[in-house]
Amino acid sequence: MQVYSAPKAIKENSDFTFCPGCDHGIAIKIIAHLIDELNLKENTVAIASSGCSVFLYNFLDIDCLESPHGRACAVATGVKRAHKAQGNNKFVFTYQGDGDFASIGLAESMHSALRGENITAICINNTNYGMTGGQLGPTTAMGQVTTTSQNGRNKEYHGFPIRTAEQIALCEGTSFSARVALYDIKNIINAKNIIKKAFEYQNQGLGFSFVEILSSCPTNWKLSPKDSHEKIKNELTQIFPLGIFKDIKND
Amino acid sequence: MSEKELLKGNIAIAKAALNCGCTCYFGYPITPQTEIGEYLSQKMQEKNLAYVCAESEIAAINMALGAASTGAKVMTSSSSCAVSLMQEAISYACSDELPIVVVNVMRAGPGQGYIFPSQGDYNQATIGGGNGDYHTIVLSPSNVQECIDLTYKAFHLAQKYRNPVILLADGLLGQMAEPAELTENPYPQIDNSSWRLDGANSRPSRNIHSLEPNQTKLNQHIINLYKKYELIEQNECDYEEYLCQDAQVIFVAFGSLSRHVKSVCNHYRKNGIKAGLFRPKSLYPFPYKKLNELSRKTPIFIDVEMNMGQMLKDIRLAILSNAKISFIGKPTGNWLREEEIINAADNIIKEYYASI
Repeated sequence: MQVYSAPKAIKENSDFTFCPGCDHGIAIKIIAHLIDELNLKENTVAIASSGCSVFLYNFLDIDCLESPHGRACAVATGVKRAHKAQGNNKFVFTYQGDGDFASIGLAESMHSALRGENITAICINNTNYGMTGGQLGPTTAMGQVTTTSQNGRNKEYHGFPIRTAEQIALCEGTSFSARVALYDIKNIINAKNIIKKAFEYQNQGLGFSFVEILSSCPTNWKLSPKDSHEKIKNELTQIFPLGIFKDIKND
Repeated sequence: MSEKELLKGNIAIAKAALNCGCTCYFGYPITPQTEIGEYLSQKMQEKNLAYVCAESEIAAINMALGAASTGAKVMTSSSSCAVSLMQEAISYACSDELPIVVVNVMRAGPGQGYIFPSQGDYNQATIGGGNGDYHTIVLSPSNVQECIDLTYKAFHLAQKYRNPVILLADGLLGQMAEPAELTENPYPQIDNSSWRLDGANSRPSRNIHSLEPNQTKLNQHIINLYKKYELIEQNECDYEEYLCQDAQVIFVAFGSLSRHVKSVCNHYRKNGIKAGLFRPKSLYPFPYKKLNELSRKTPIFIDVEMNMGQMLKDIRLAILSNAKISFIGKPTGNWLREEEIINAADNIIKEYYASI
């Protein structure tokens, strides 16, 4: 009896290019499983962004378009609307980091939510700019040491981090906004159910759906993969609580 | 067959875009081109097409980038300082080989400048304001009829070469009305089924990206782009020659200003001086070869522009080294009048004949 197989939406022979212990791999695999389960492969255009998340198209066996840094939600808007103008309803989602979604691209992200753009955005929050070697980002926690906050983030000098899922929940066009983590099996299963809901809301035409994923960055945090997950469980979830912040069906 | 109607340049561009199958427009208001978005906002909604009043020009051009990946005919429009905001995505679109029509109805710069008409974005359009090795095709209309004709051509060339095309108009042309005919789009539909992103249905998945971590592949990609630009340079040079064949002096001007220069040529012809006008309609590719040929017979070239002489370097590259080249221009404001051009040109011509 076969108990496990890799998702069909994952390209064959794709090498894992992320750092050891990075949660990008788990996040992309969850998305691939959902593309299989919801039968989306033949109808989907995914938008990759800048930073570690750009490599999405190396793993997923679906149509992908790269976006300039921060503009993924605007690019997704164009893809979705252009297909709609041709009479086609395509499934369109973005895969972005926190720097991409919530710093350089905050205007594009938030306005897509305000317009109720019928797309899904997945945001990997690892509290730093990972690809460039771990600098202070929009989600860097108070006190967190990065290469550009070597004495730790402090409010007088650096200001405050953004709680992205809560902010997106405030937008009227948002159908669904949640934050999940991937530090243990229970959370991975939960994350999959939550992302599934976000995808289904797009399929039901309910508006902008958003999932922020608290993810580990062992290389830049200078922690082992195990300790990185402990940090998410014990520290980051205190600052960035897990949960659903908006669900249009329950509000 | 439609008839001539009184049309503003901006409206002519918008109507032509719709008429040749543009299904997506994304924009942000800026004078002197706002009527394009106003007109299309209504028409696109009526026809269930895509219109977004974007949160910025950066968002607008990136929406256009996304829409272009579906194979749709896509346009955005803006003016000078805001076209500056679009340069990053234009560079991406060139690398991604995505067809986007970008209309720039030029106003005065640098910075915010003002809403006076100007031709100050010649360099930005023809050299490119984004990063890396790339070219955008640049077309320059001189009257409202050409706003229609060159909009059709812009969409056609964008699709044919899978490359952004800039329609470089100016505030005067955008805002003035004259009779023009909304003719039929003369260009054929181009098949894009081999590259568009519409879901991996019964075919392998595709991806479109500019990132390339393999240097051999990145080099080859850029070399391939330049093979395409070579074809564009061979095939798509477009220009108007007015009384150039026997000319003793050739004026070079583009866009709406060239119409004043045409009157200047008529003035000189009446007064016994054989003057002609050479007007590039494609600014990239620039018609170097034709200008070079003309410089074998004509000794004096006078560049007339509403900027500080941005086209001069291209004319210098084109003409033979023994031909004389002079410049008449000012950066912005009311277009140079016929008399102003004649006063300045009289001196240039006199000086030349005194020197030989």
